[in-house]
Amino acid sequence: MRAKLHYRWYTPYLFLLPGLALYVLWMIYPLGYEFYISFFDWKIMPGQTSEFIGWANYQRVLDDKNFWLALENTVRYTAVTVIGQMVIGLGLAVMVHRVFIAKRLFRGIYYLPVVTSWVVVSFLFQFIFSAHRGGLVNYTLIDVLHMLDEPVNWIGETNTAWIIIYSLGIWKGMGWTMVIFLAALQGIPPELYESAAIDGAGEIGQFRFITLPMIRRTTLFILVALVIGGFQVFISVYLITGGGPLHRTEVVLSYMYDRSFDRLWFGYGAAISYILAAIVVLVSFGQLRLFGQSDDADY
Amino acid sequence: MKAKLLVLVLIAALALPAFAHAQDDVVTVEFWHTYNEVSPENEMLVNTLIPMFEAEHPNIKVESVPFPYGEFRQTILTALAGGEGPDLARLDIIWSPEFASLGVLLPLEDVMPDYADYADAVFAGPLSTNVYEGQHYGLPLDTNTRVFMYNSTVYEQAGIAEPPATIDDLVAQCDAVTALGEDYYIFSDGGTYGWAVLPWIWSFGGSLTDGAMTTSTGYVNGEETVAAYEFLKDMIDSGCFSPSFLGGGMDSGTGYFTNLFASIMDGPWMFPIAEAQYPDFTIQTALLPAGVGGSISVVGGENIALFVDSETEAALEFLRFTQSDEYQLKMSEVGQLTVKPALLESDYFQNHSYYGTFLQQLKTARARLPHPAWSQIEEVLTDAGQLILRGEASAQEALDMAAEEIDGLLAEYE
Repeated sequence: MRAKLHYRWYTPYLFLLPGLALYVLWMIYPLGYEFYISFFDWKIMPGQTSEFIGWANYQRVLDDKNFWLALENTVRYTAVTVIGQMVIGLGLAVMVHRVFIAKRLFRGIYYLPVVTSWVVVSFLFQFIFSAHRGGLVNYTLIDVLHMLDEPVNWIGETNTAWIIIYSLGIWKGMGWTMVIFLAALQGIPPELYESAAIDGAGEIGQFRFITLPMIRRTTLFILVALVIGGFQVFISVYLITGGGPLHRTEVVLSYMYDRSFDRLWFGYGAAISYILAAIVVLVSFGQLRLFGQSDDADY
Repeated sequence: MKAKLLVLVLIAALALPAFAHAQDDVVTVEFWHTYNEVSPENEMLVNTLIPMFEAEHPNIKVESVPFPYGEFRQTILTALAGGEGPDLARLDIIWSPEFASLGVLLPLEDVMPDYADYADAVFAGPLSTNVYEGQHYGLPLDTNTRVFMYNSTVYEQAGIAEPPATIDDLVAQCDAVTALGEDYYIFSDGGTYGWAVLPWIWSFGGSLTDGAMTTSTGYVNGEETVAAYEFLKDMIDSGCFSPSFLGGGMDSGTGYFTNLFASIMDGPWMFPIAEAQYPDFTIQTALLPAGVGGSISVVGGENIALFVDSETEAALEFLRFTQSDEYQLKMSEVGQLTVKPALLESDYFQNHSYYGTFLQQLKTARARLPHPAWSQIEEVLTDAGQLILRGEASAQEALDMAAEEIDGLLAEYE
């Protein structure tokens, strides 16, 4: 009584079904519903009626100077932290790639910030940069290095608040870029370096003409992933400055959160998030078009 | 056989809670609040008052859910939107009109037949913070105000004999305090939110809106309000007031308790905090220094409100309990001033070590705008204050802009 094995067209779909169902339930459905909300003056309390207002939320967002400031801040954050993470991450990868002992240890140490919780390290940075004399950074600058006389109100001033948020973003992400770059470096055949050395290429020449071209695809992947991540910055800003002072450190998502959950303008918040999503899609697509062409020569 | 037995046991086990439930019929009431978890008020609630209530009402179980103040409004609104709100909550008096306007609170006149008896037993001022469109959406739970608290150690070092009776006196004392060292200030506060700046605005004779809350032009940007902000800016610039007004910096309470700040403005909960964390420290109180408008402080406090979809009858029982003399007196022991005038006649308050100043200050204290848009209005006010104190706009410029924005917010509710 052995059952005959035979192919049924729907079998693979059955295997896909559980994952797909969860994906639809937790991703697609909320996304669609949010799109729907963005066309209403949405009331969150049960029993209240929401009014359909068409594209009015989108219009209001585009007329809102705080939104544009938040967007500008987000773009600047993305630029600074993506460059920072890529340069430092690549530097670390090259160095870790070269050490012979304790390679895993170094890799682990640099990767550690990646796996720590955003919430925990945000609070940690808040303490490190606290405004009075006893804050670690102020104490170091005043009493140890004697570089300053007065404590700096790091979180309370716009420019210094950005230093905290940028450095947290770079510090937390550089381990991830390092690991990905490291994997790419390990994939470069050593013969290339040997023959280059024979041809007289120095360290810098080898890096410039072998390493960089060979990790081009990886670099592109990291760039796209980090830019998308950069646009989604939220926890650090929300916890460290709360968008303050005067909304000047607001980023798009913290502003969306504030309008939605503090003012209860959920339609408005939904419109903000769809505008952000459109921008991220356009930017990612643009990056792929710009840097992604003609890579058939890679391998 | 074994398997069948196992199934039977499982079914029995699953069914048991149902039987148990059917037998005692206990109703659980969720009470959300911001009684400070690290101060004695929460302990009083959980260890003394709720057990007392549950002993009297064996069929009601009260579940106390504490939240940090800063997150409470958002948490509760989000929970309500998801249909997961509490039965009862202790709301800051400034939130009541907003919550009522969202339709999440029950009008007590409709659901509580004996409501009038309870309303008659409390102060009219705190009671009025529960009104929205002519109906009451809660009862006051506790009241408070900010008084002037001075540090006798700093006063002694600086050679100051008396707390200032007027704002001019306060200014005159500044140099003696700042001469003590870099981190010394005559006064400190934590920001430019309403709770901090309104006493100055009112004491300077200013205000935020007209009495009917229809316009702020001519009030929030009026001469007196502008003068109050200019005064604050001068004091911070000259190093008299601590820069913590700009946010960040040393917490005012910490600076006060550690003998750096000569004075702060704060509420009665500071006494239990001092007792627990700075047992050697004695808080000295006085009325706020007076300006041309008088010595006007800001009324704080909380209401207790009942939510739509609550276990109404059981929740009402607990609400009645919070209005009892027992509850009010016990909470008064831990810094939560009672809202019942009759209790103030009692020996407890007549001989009390620190409530005297608060009761006197309350006579002239005013409430923040009891308006559904208060949270948004306060944001505008806070931002305007920051612009002024950071020197990025003149007081008149910043407040003119604020007036325009606040007028817009007020108009949305007309």
